Amino acid sequence: MKATPAKQRIAAPPAVFTREITAATIVLAAAVALILIMKLIFPSFGSLAQIAAILVTSIFLVVASCGQGLTILLGGIDLSIGVVMSIAGMMIAGLTNGSNDNLPWAVPLVLACCTGIGVLNGVGIALLKIPPLLMTLAMGTTFFGVALGATSGSLQQRVAPALQEVMSSHLAGIPVPVILMAAFVVVVIVGQQRTAMGRKLYALGSNQTAARIAGLPIVGLTIGAYAISALCAAISGLLLAGYSASATLDMGDPYLMPTIAAVVIGGARVTGGRGIYWGTFAGAIFLSTVSTIITALSLSQGWRNIIQGGIIISALIITFIQSKLSSSGN
Amino acid sequence: MIPIRINRLNGAPLAFALFVAMYIAYALHMPSALSLFSITNLFNNTVVLALAAVGLTFVILIKEMDLSPVGVIAVTNVLVATQSGSTPYGALLCFLLCCLIGLGIGLINGVLVAYLRLQSLACTLSTMIICQGVALIILPAPGGEVAEFISYQLTDLIGGVFPVSAAILVLVAALWLFLRRTSFGIGLYAVGTDEVAAHYSGIKVNRIRLGAFALAGIFYGLAGYMLSAQIGSGDPRVSSSFLLYVFAAVAIGGTSLSGGRGGIIGSLAGAGILTIMQKMLFSLGVSDFYTNIFNGVIMVLAILLGNSTALLNKWREHRENFASSSYLRGREKQAGSKQAEATQ
Repeated sequence: MKATPAKQRIAAPPAVFTREITAATIVLAAAVALILIMKLIFPSFGSLAQIAAILVTSIFLVVASCGQGLTILLGGIDLSIGVVMSIAGMMIAGLTNGSNDNLPWAVPLVLACCTGIGVLNGVGIALLKIPPLLMTLAMGTTFFGVALGATSGSLQQRVAPALQEVMSSHLAGIPVPVILMAAFVVVVIVGQQRTAMGRKLYALGSNQTAARIAGLPIVGLTIGAYAISALCAAISGLLLAGYSASATLDMGDPYLMPTIAAVVIGGARVTGGRGIYWGTFAGAIFLSTVSTIITALSLSQGWRNIIQGGIIISALIITFIQSKLSSSGN
Repeated sequence: MIPIRINRLNGAPLAFALFVAMYIAYALHMPSALSLFSITNLFNNTVVLALAAVGLTFVILIKEMDLSPVGVIAVTNVLVATQSGSTPYGALLCFLLCCLIGLGIGLINGVLVAYLRLQSLACTLSTMIICQGVALIILPAPGGEVAEFISYQLTDLIGGVFPVSAAILVLVAALWLFLRRTSFGIGLYAVGTDEVAAHYSGIKVNRIRLGAFALAGIFYGLAGYMLSAQIGSGDPRVSSSFLLYVFAAVAIGGTSLSGGRGGIIGSLAGAGILTIMQKMLFSLGVSDFYTNIFNGVIMVLAILLGNSTALLNKWREHRENFASSSYLRGREKQAGSKQAEATQ
């Protein structure tokens, strides 16, 4: 009888999130503002097709940074995301080899293998107490070596046509990837904010000692978070392979740093325990918009790096100023 | 008693023993390894990694992270490759420029971490990305040419007997042995062990943090300068596996990644171990693919080794305390029973 009110309290959205939701919405608004400014300067920019393209290409970052967000929520980081994305793409291309016949078993196999890398990460971090930065970097390097040895670094082509179709078709005038992305976002937000597992991750991220005393399965939760991170990276890799119709061993690399940037821009605390997926999603959309603008302005890779790094530092400093203001306000 | 024991047990001597053992194994496999030429070669191959690892050690000692070595090395490398003239004067100018750039980036990291209290991992990640961008703008594709003066003199021998790279490493080690005794050196360990306690014992914690990042930056700059001397050209893309090496060198050298324990000497040995391992793998004909796998596995093993020495130390300390306390209790009991006997 008495358990019911407690359950209701867990299910109710915690008040602390409202500020974060506002911050994330501001980031989204900034992305829209960027597009509008570009449209003012270059009237040819910002057609409906271009905006649809921004949304479609942002799905890779939106999906991959979900996993990064979970590991950062635990106070860790996942530097193997780029490699896992590439491995997923290479595997699906190699296994399907241009036909749909193998797709039904190839997709689960690829996802399972990549999740395995995440489990390894989690075991090293939770049981062997290796710092997340180094464990995931080491696993990334190791499995890059494995993939390089297995494929001799050659370009794997001919991804299954069904996968390519998913990425290019429309449903009722809306690109299918955008619908998939919306579904993904809803699932993640519900999973992270409204389920017991999600709440436990927050508890573990904000205070490990307290979580241990409260009897949370720390090892299981940590391994789970890194496994989900690898799973998200693998899904993202599959989609990327479908989008570009081929796979290379370094195709995931450009997405690693942006996943971290998206989480940081979304207002997550890098030391863990705070951050919502809505923020990460907003960060990912913002970065994809910036990336499209950089491409439209035909800036070089060097400038792309500088802008990306500058965005992360600015986001960090803004978060710092916000926390200063709010603490002095109290 | 106990602190001395812990000092003796830290990773540096272990790392040095491992380095010597590996060198002997390598020399047995390849007798030519003992020639002055290949010793010089070994030092030349080690020095870049060693300097970067030394820099990182300062940051790790105060319990922070630094991903910027790759960025600083990329910027200084392309700078030397595009700006070095052909005169010794140009070489000196480049040297100063490398130090200054390293110092500048280190100071930026330091201010962000020490005074704004931003997470070091995220800050140095972004300075790394920015530095790589700057390097790509200075030199969009691998190329350029390092002045012959730099690439010859710095990889050569002093007076025909002593490798320049070895001299640099000895100099760094000497600098550290001096620095360790200064208040800055002691402050590094204090901040890394317990910043609150350090603060209350009057250590300027933020100044130590800033100093550690600045010093680290200078060493990354030097590493970039030496890298340019080694490869003789510029490459804006320093691979992220080099970052793994730098961390591995520090970890193998016995510096605890949770701060406050370890030192520069161990990192030098760690860099030596990693370099000689590459040479062994190469001489055994292991293909490039597998060296990647090897590096990842070695990294994990190195940290496990570091963790286990820390555990061992804790266990020893614990056992010692326990033993001494039970010994005392035993004495008391004895004394008590004697007293009892006497009264009877």
